Amino acid sequence: MPQKELVDPCSDCREFESILTQRNRRLCQDCYRRAVSLKVLRRTENYRLRKHPFPRTGPLNLAFPLSYGLSSTVLLHMLHDQLDAQLAKPRGPPGYTLHVLIIEPSTICPSSPSHEEGFEAAQKCFPHFSFTRVSFHDIFEFVPDILETMSQFAGSFFVDNPSLSNQERLAAFRASISTATSRADVDYILMNRLVVAFAKKMDCRAVLWGDSDSKLAAKTLANVAKGRGSSVTWQVSDGMSPFGLEFSFPLRDLFTTELQNYATFFPELSKIIIRDEPPSENTLTKNLSIDELMMRYVQTQGEKYPGVMLNVTRTAAKLDPSQAPTTAQCSFCGSAVSESDGESGFCYGCIRSRPESR
Amino acid sequence: MAPPCAHCHSARAVIIRPKNRHRLCRECFIRVFETEVHETITATQLFQRGERIAIGASGGKDSTVLAAVLKTLNERYDYGLSLCLLSIDEGIRGYRDDSLETVKRNAQQYAMPLEIVGYGELYGWTMDQVVAQVGKKGNCTYCGVFRRQALDRGAARLGISHVVTGHNADDVAETVMMNLLRGDLPRLSRGTSIVTDSAASEVKRSKPLKYAYEKEIVLYAHHRRLDYFSTECIYSPEAFRGSARSLIKDLEKIRPSSILDIVRSGEDLAGLVPAEVKGTGPVGGGGGGGGCGSQNGRTSGGEMAEMERRLAGDEAAAGQETEIRLPVRTPGRKNKQAKDQPKVKTQTMGKCERCGYISSQKVCKACSLLEGLNKNRPRMAIDVDMEDEESSTTLMRQMERVELG
Repeated sequence: MPQKELVDPCSDCREFESILTQRNRRLCQDCYRRAVSLKVLRRTENYRLRKHPFPRTGPLNLAFPLSYGLSSTVLLHMLHDQLDAQLAKPRGPPGYTLHVLIIEPSTICPSSPSHEEGFEAAQKCFPHFSFTRVSFHDIFEFVPDILETMSQFAGSFFVDNPSLSNQERLAAFRASISTATSRADVDYILMNRLVVAFAKKMDCRAVLWGDSDSKLAAKTLANVAKGRGSSVTWQVSDGMSPFGLEFSFPLRDLFTTELQNYATFFPELSKIIIRDEPPSENTLTKNLSIDELMMRYVQTQGEKYPGVMLNVTRTAAKLDPSQAPTTAQCSFCGSAVSESDGESGFCYGCIRSRPESR
Repeated sequence: MAPPCAHCHSARAVIIRPKNRHRLCRECFIRVFETEVHETITATQLFQRGERIAIGASGGKDSTVLAAVLKTLNERYDYGLSLCLLSIDEGIRGYRDDSLETVKRNAQQYAMPLEIVGYGELYGWTMDQVVAQVGKKGNCTYCGVFRRQALDRGAARLGISHVVTGHNADDVAETVMMNLLRGDLPRLSRGTSIVTDSAASEVKRSKPLKYAYEKEIVLYAHHRRLDYFSTECIYSPEAFRGSARSLIKDLEKIRPSSILDIVRSGEDLAGLVPAEVKGTGPVGGGGGGGGCGSQNGRTSGGEMAEMERRLAGDEAAAGQETEIRLPVRTPGRKNKQAKDQPKVKTQTMGKCERCGYISSQKVCKACSLLEGLNKNRPRMAIDVDMEDEESSTTLMRQMERVELG
């Protein structure tokens, strides 16, 4: 039987019409999906195939913070797909147990609505994974000493009132931070602490982060701009974090557009994903946080030079944290504290975000 | 009514410091600015008593302020330094000739000897001629390479082995961001240190204004009524630096301390650059690294687009790679040793075959750039010797054409 003539065949399988361009190659939907998830497959091999230093048998717990954003949702889908295929094999390696943590978005930002529908959809879509939902202010339960650290951090700007609810106490602390940059910085640190505490509670060996390439590039640049150069390594690179857990960023080789395309193949994901609002053009630069500015910078520059932006993260990954002198850890964010930072116990970056300094 | 100065509490505050928004009077600001530079100098033990220092002077605000502050501090704290000015004449009409006049006046005002080294006399090419030849794109490479050597040669002529330059905190922060964007780890590891002396040069360089904000330098120059030249270089800037510069201006608006924070991050990052990468890469990235820092956030985009193309090419090539495995041999000692060694080449310094300048290659960067330039320059005299044949084929071809015509 003569083969059907294709106008623009997929350059991988040659059987179907290509519909998308992935890095200069025209692919059909199936091959596109495979090409994109292959990069994640490679990045998570150590866990899936139980490579060194993970035990070959027995349980292996991993933590996964889900923000309902495009990238973490897509990553979760890819991981579920891969684990599903692996578990179908009778003699395959045991894989891992993934504990998904959701910090309810409405408790982080009161203006965002509760995402009940997303939580249910996620549980339905990914039956191999376990789901835990917490409120942001549950940090007081997960990290009992955080309250004392908060008091030291904010000094006279925050006086804790034990008669208030956890929610109100956290709100009071967050209100003591005056600038947008410091607020975003402090929120990020608190969420990080919460995720780490959850991971430890679930006996996890590693945390898989769903940061996209542009998020990682923006995070690298923002950390440098906030005086957090020394912690860039564990903030964006795969490897050991100061918390004794491995941090892994499996989406580091993918462009955001590739994640967007992937998401369109699976309509069920739209119930989970909360779309980012387009950046408002009316905000004055000086009212943005450094994190927002960097995200905008990476997005606008990334339209023209996606490779250059991706390369920022790759450059950061080449740095060698073992070269840094071993020093005390910052009591708030966990980064290294150097002698010149004074006696407060906080690192340079955290001192910059404290309420009294501008 | 304006509040009193936060420092002396008596005079009226007329300045809000860009660095930390403290309100100061004129005298206190000048004093505080100078004291901070003094602290940088003493904390890093930058100078030795009796040392002769050449100040790289362009006539612009940074080097003029540097000269003024160093003269003041040298007298106030008795550093015992002998200071002089060293200027480079790139040969850019409408820019450098005017700024050199400023430097000449500065030399008189500060009673310092002045030495001027010209690209024209050193290389036989002024920047105007280079631009006429290579166009406006990429000419900063020539200027940067030439300047580095010219400063060294000028210092050598004066018998001085320490040149101070007017690089400020904004410049250093820009360099950190730019090297991150370019993925240039070797430069990231050395760009932030206050002193850059490497095997690549006999002359030590340092930047005493490393922690001084550009805006404060302008304020200082203004309030001390210093005589400086404020026009910027007329030729095209480097895209990465331009992009980094506009980013830093935005960051400063959001959080004024961020310039210093980036410098601090840069210092920390420098310590994380793997040792085997540190000594590699192009020679001579000291402070500037690609351009002279006098641009103002204008971008031509060429360099970024070029890098984007290269990265995309690498990516495509990586996808097509096939891993070829050789049959595994019993690991002998030799084999193992080769495997353990880092693959990165390290630099060995030698001398340029042509000019004798220190170089990691047979021919130094300046000489190889000159070779390219000279190839296309018509010879002045017509002397077609047999030995010269090779280099004057163009001329001969032209002669042939004339005969045929």
